[in-house]
Amino acid sequence: MPSFIEKNHFLLRRLHSLTGIVPIGVFLIAHLLTNSSIIWGGGALREGFDGAPFKDRGVAYFQEEVAWINTQVPHLLLIEVTLWVSLAFHAILGVYYARSGSANTDRYPYQGNWRYRVQRLSGYLGFLFIFYHVATLRWGWTFLIPGGTEWSFRYSASTLAAALHGSTTGLTTVGVVVSLFYFAGVSLLVFHFANGLWTAAITWGLTISKAAQRRWGYVCAGLGAALMLMAWMSLFGALAVKHDDARRIESQLHHKAAGLAPKAAEIADTN
Amino acid sequence: MSATASSSTHSRPVARPEAKPGRTVRFRVKRCDGPGKPVRWETFAVKPEPGANIISCLQQIAASPVTVDGQKTTPVAWDSGCLEEVCGACTMVINGKTRQSCSCLIDEYAPNEGDEITLEPMSKFPVVRDLWVDRARLFDALKRVKAWVPIDGTYSLGAGPRESAEKSESRYVMSTCMSCGCCLEACPQYQLEENPDKWPASFIGAHAMNQARLFNEHATGAVLKGARLDTLMGEGGVNDCGNAQNCVQVCPKHIPLTESIATIGRSVTIHAIAKWFRG
Repeated sequence: MPSFIEKNHFLLRRLHSLTGIVPIGVFLIAHLLTNSSIIWGGGALREGFDGAPFKDRGVAYFQEEVAWINTQVPHLLLIEVTLWVSLAFHAILGVYYARSGSANTDRYPYQGNWRYRVQRLSGYLGFLFIFYHVATLRWGWTFLIPGGTEWSFRYSASTLAAALHGSTTGLTTVGVVVSLFYFAGVSLLVFHFANGLWTAAITWGLTISKAAQRRWGYVCAGLGAALMLMAWMSLFGALAVKHDDARRIESQLHHKAAGLAPKAAEIADTN
Repeated sequence: MSATASSSTHSRPVARPEAKPGRTVRFRVKRCDGPGKPVRWETFAVKPEPGANIISCLQQIAASPVTVDGQKTTPVAWDSGCLEEVCGACTMVINGKTRQSCSCLIDEYAPNEGDEITLEPMSKFPVVRDLWVDRARLFDALKRVKAWVPIDGTYSLGAGPRESAEKSESRYVMSTCMSCGCCLEACPQYQLEENPDKWPASFIGAHAMNQARLFNEHATGAVLKGARLDTLMGEGGVNDCGNAQNCVQVCPKHIPLTESIATIGRSVTIHAIAKWFRG
């Protein structure tokens, strides 16, 4: 009797490829765009913080983005569950597939072979990182963030800074370890997505000739570089934020919102 | 400067060191007396003649099988056929990389006194003895993808469809595959599998996908396209490729193997969608 995996080999393989792009890859782009706004948001035009320093305006922009996602985006739980299921599917099958190979970059140190190897490595480490990231900042497993506080979308920048710093007062040793893990995790995952997008085009048969594969390679490398920049902006932006400064800005936003929108005011009242 | 002119298909470096005449070259050989027997390393010293290749040095070792330690041993066994890099039989791992030993010139690999060359059998096929391996799985894969043009029958099928010169020219490079096994040896997804019952579910390899494409693109061979794609759609087929693309780097015939894999990927995508709707 062929197993379920054997019988549905083609479907599972292609779903594995597809889930890496939709929804996971699409989410990654949106997620990094939002998170990096903690820096680039300082240059964006938004009312209320006209005279404030660049850094403060970035925090305000980021907080408003995160609050919008958590209060205004419809079916947020459905989106989250879809992502978790897709991630679990992509990761479990990914490990199963990766175990069928054996790296040989020592004998054949070609660039493509290295990417093959790092793709699998980044899959393993990236999944560990995503689990830690979601468990601590989404599910509130605070015992995994020593010195940090529970993440809240109402205090998005300050609680994120505390989680990365390892305290609410400044960078600690634990914070350095956590931040280095974040740096490795996000960098590997951005590579994993960009390289996966390149190989997916071959898997599905979109890019055939060497020239077409090279052209698509430039597109994927460009997208990867942009996402890498955003990932590093998000991390270093959050690390540069002081917990108390961010909390002051977040409180100002809550008060501002209380005078404008009833729903946001309701949230501000519960503080 | 060597007198050897580089051919159009092989881009060897033009400027390479002049080989020292009368030098001694050491051959470190991975040896095994037969399936299941222990592996050992032996080193031999050879004075290669000008223009010598690995095979001619192995012949010298066979004539006097004594290691550098003065130990008398058995002659090193190897497989070879054409001696002009078109049969694939003499493929082995030379200095850690897979290639044909007949076209591997000692003057290039070991130009100086005391230079050492390491010889190993391919690791993805069962060893028969020493450097000689059994490539049966490679040929079994060609049968599984029906890598032929079906013209046998009980009556004359008449003339085949006309082939354009352009199309046959594009297929020519794919047809130069000599089933040597280099693409499989260098592939991180292709593993040694000695049990023939497990071959169908194990990764089939670049060579078979290239041959499937070759015959899919042949006007008469295309009648078996569906059967080929059914095989390549399943376990061990094109989806098991990990896109490391080592195959195309080591192919001695410079066959665009990765283009063939992508072409099969496209064919299988269309085949699967068509089958899903058509039943």
